[in-house]
Amino acid sequence: MFASIRRTLALAIRIVRQFVRDKRTLALLFLAPLLIMTLLNFVLGSSGSNSLTLAVVPPPGLGHDAIQQAISKGLAKAKGVQVIYIDADQVDAKLRAGDANAALIFPPDFVSATSVGAQPSVTLRLDGSNPPAAEQAKTLVTFALVSLNRSAGAQPGDPSAAPVALHTSYLYGGPQYTQTDALAPLFIGLFAFFFVFLLASVAFLRERSQGTLERILVSPLSRTELTLGYVLGFMLFATLQSLVILGFVIYVLRVHYAGNLWLLFLVTLALTIGGVNMGIFASAFARNELQVIQFIPLLIVPQALLGGLFFPVNTLPVVLKQLAYIMPLTWANFALRDVMLKGLGFSDIWPDLAFLVGFAILMVVISAISLRQERA
Amino acid sequence: MVDSSAAGAALVTTRHLVKVFGKTRALDDVSIEVNAGETFGLIGPNGSGKTTLIRTLLGIAAPTSGEALLLGQRMPNRAVSRQVGYMSQASVLYSDLSVQENLAFFGALYGLRGKRLAQRIGETLELVDLADRRGVAVGVLSGGMRQRISLAAALIHQPRVLFLDEPTVGIDPELRLEFWDYFARLNQQGVTIMVSTHTLEEATRCHRLALLRFGKLIALDTPAALLAASGQQDFDHAFLYYARRDASADAAGAARPLAQQ
Repeated sequence: MFASIRRTLALAIRIVRQFVRDKRTLALLFLAPLLIMTLLNFVLGSSGSNSLTLAVVPPPGLGHDAIQQAISKGLAKAKGVQVIYIDADQVDAKLRAGDANAALIFPPDFVSATSVGAQPSVTLRLDGSNPPAAEQAKTLVTFALVSLNRSAGAQPGDPSAAPVALHTSYLYGGPQYTQTDALAPLFIGLFAFFFVFLLASVAFLRERSQGTLERILVSPLSRTELTLGYVLGFMLFATLQSLVILGFVIYVLRVHYAGNLWLLFLVTLALTIGGVNMGIFASAFARNELQVIQFIPLLIVPQALLGGLFFPVNTLPVVLKQLAYIMPLTWANFALRDVMLKGLGFSDIWPDLAFLVGFAILMVVISAISLRQERA
Repeated sequence: MVDSSAAGAALVTTRHLVKVFGKTRALDDVSIEVNAGETFGLIGPNGSGKTTLIRTLLGIAAPTSGEALLLGQRMPNRAVSRQVGYMSQASVLYSDLSVQENLAFFGALYGLRGKRLAQRIGETLELVDLADRRGVAVGVLSGGMRQRISLAAALIHQPRVLFLDEPTVGIDPELRLEFWDYFARLNQQGVTIMVSTHTLEEATRCHRLALLRFGKLIALDTPAALLAASGQQDFDHAFLYYARRDASADAAGAARPLAQQ
């Protein structure tokens, strides 16, 4: 297949010019991701540790101080957890009213049981309607109980009793890594893929509906050059977008970042080629812009949901997991997370990249076939 | 370059060309030849197959049967497409780009660049009297101006054969006359033109006319000969004469499916 660089460039330059003229689209490309990242940062930051209220139903015969001390040892790392003390019959009312996220209920025979060496059972009642808070409370209380059990059982009332020291170590990142850090790489992939797909299919739809596609097909520009020109034009903006997002999350949101910019570029490149061609293909099935928008819940949302952005892929049900493994964004997420959070190199992410390149090639072929159908 | 001299003077040839869309025979056994230097008119009402004939010749649509040759070649053919210009019904331009940028893009598709491209942009804008609008975004121009830019874009690479699909539809009478003056000028420069129209008064400006009805070629001759043979005073009546003759032939044959209606 022969492709003239000049003709391809002429097309790419035209696409770039149209982008530059279209201020609204530029704003969508560059400002919308920043807005979403900022909101996300605030949301994740606030739902972190400072909104958790733990209600404790203390056992008779053990002072609040002892419990407080024990719990606070377990909660050393978690700032802002509020502990309130209630009676056993108040538990469900407090949870229902939202005054507490979790209740820790000690049995009345707690002290006597522990003093004879028995293992008393402590109940943790959670507000299941708020899973993140529930999960957090569960973790904290588990830690707290370890030390509580020890100090209560060994020498009741003796503050010098040595609690189990919980030592935490991290494989990647560290205690300073937040959820925003973990999500930032994935959003670079999502935005690159989403906007490139959306804008390419709208641009191509317009080309079709305003008759310029027919005009181009009559010219010596080949279908290969047409596809290449589109990829090249969109690549420029996808790369710029990734750089803007990256710069914003690193320097403004102060997200932690460990990786190699070139690998990030490779992942974005493969995603863009796939996205542009998927857009060209999808545009053949849309008669207007609204119909292009209708593809988003079908083609983009499942990838955002299952691709590891919200739930880790390996915790998905089997059927969904298999679905996730055929989605490009899943593999892009693996690669981006490995590069940006773990600082891994090409030798570690090449299988992910290989899948993305395979997807890109598949989309190029499919869009070429759909262009061939243009000749009715 | 494609050598068309060996194939005689015919630049555009169709032989028993048939194009079927679903149940509609958009083209029904059309055989024509357009010679070098001709202005060849396609006349017929809406839906008679004019646009389909042009699109099939350009290779945008594939023939169902029969043959469509441009410069002796089957389309699409890149070497031939370099020598062919096409202006479709609507003004086909990028409205967010300037006049200059539009022409530069279409010029670059045909391999023009640098000084040569700048020169051609100047010349074509001169021809359509819009040299002073270079930097203006196409979207803010009037419909008539856009139509003229479309023509300039079709001419940017100096085509040997120019296809004009209803180039004067929806423009005012003054501009229509101007357009036909442009076409005459191009024709004098040696450009072969195939132009479709349903405005019969434009027919007299063509060298030869093909009359189409429901995809069938119902008459083909010079305007004067068509008028004389019909015994009518003007083309409106002449066209009706040929249409009725075709319809009665159909009725006599009675074998033709009614799918065209």
